[in-house]
Amino acid sequence: MTEIFSTLFGQSEAQGPQGPGTLGFAPGKPPPLPQTQAPAPPQIPAQPGDEGPAARKPGVMNEPFYLLRELPAGNDLTGNTNLITHYNLEHAYNKFCGKKVKEKLSNFLPELPGMIDCPGVQDGSSLRSLIEKPPVCGNSFSPLTGALLTGFRLHTGPLPEQYRLMHIQPPKKKSKHKHRHHRPQDPIPPETPSDTDPKKKKKKRDDDPERKKKKKDKKKKKNRHSPDHPGITGSQPNSNSLR
Amino acid sequence: MAEKFDNLEEHLEKFIENIRQMGIIVSDFQPSSQTGLNQKLNFMITGLQDVEKCRQQLNDIHVPLEAFEYIDQGRNPQLYTKECLERALAKNEQVKGKIDTMTKFKSLLITELGKVFPEEMAKYKAIHGDDPPS
Repeated sequence: MTEIFSTLFGQSEAQGPQGPGTLGFAPGKPPPLPQTQAPAPPQIPAQPGDEGPAARKPGVMNEPFYLLRELPAGNDLTGNTNLITHYNLEHAYNKFCGKKVKEKLSNFLPELPGMIDCPGVQDGSSLRSLIEKPPVCGNSFSPLTGALLTGFRLHTGPLPEQYRLMHIQPPKKKSKHKHRHHRPQDPIPPETPSDTDPKKKKKKRDDDPERKKKKKDKKKKKNRHSPDHPGITGSQPNSNSLR
Repeated sequence: MAEKFDNLEEHLEKFIENIRQMGIIVSDFQPSSQTGLNQKLNFMITGLQDVEKCRQQLNDIHVPLEAFEYIDQGRNPQLYTKECLERALAKNEQVKGKIDTMTKFKSLLITELGKVFPEEMAKYKAIHGDDPPS
């Protein structure tokens, strides 16, 4: 192998640079192949039964340039084209990227009850766990008989506190509350009776757990009765104004 | 196509509403609520049967697993679609830049080679013709 390379490049060195080599390497004409060498690329050994390397690579030795091959067929679809317009995704692009998409899952599923903005890993409700440990399937769903329904007899009374909050969604009005608290606070000077307001607001903040319980009770009543009773929420000015 | 999703969505909404009402009944259970609870339990089972019937129509629907990760984190899955589109556009622009750069390089190379090796480049152009600018 090295003898072949040396013969190729050795002859070029013997000839010497014929003209000013502007690129600084090899003269303008390619080195002539030795006449004793067979007209075949040295890397490919001739195998019995083959027609020869020329048939294997028809473009190789038919050209005056060594290893010059045909250009690959050009694809019509390349990165040069705007693929979004090509696949008619402009509307989708404007919809998702033109406007601001809200971060929380509850904005995507507003009617879904429960606390869905929390990670599913916390309460074991993740989809990943469902994929990794799929439930037992194959059995058909059959209605529960009387004997099976006896297992669902419950004790009377409210749920324990640890289970009460599971079906209640967190109030989404907190951000608006904060804005409304800040707006009157900023322009009011400290000498005005607004000094008592932060105290009142601090008291309100101290009473938040009690307020939360009251809100939850009221929400339970809302769920029991129809939602078209504004009188129930009339005691809370904030909820009225936010509506 | 949209009908399949509408059908499934309707069944799921009814199922979820049924479960929500069961939660209300259970949160403050009374003896008179037992029959209602039993009824809701059987509604839940029929709801699952309805959802399973919808399953056959949706066998060809594939959901990427990355969208599940967004849901598990409590994030809007539309953010996944948004990020996919943005990544696709960025990659499209990157590849277009590479193509433009390579095209310019090719034309410059052919020009310079034509100055240094005029005869060889004439033969090359005779073989390949004048390559149109891509």
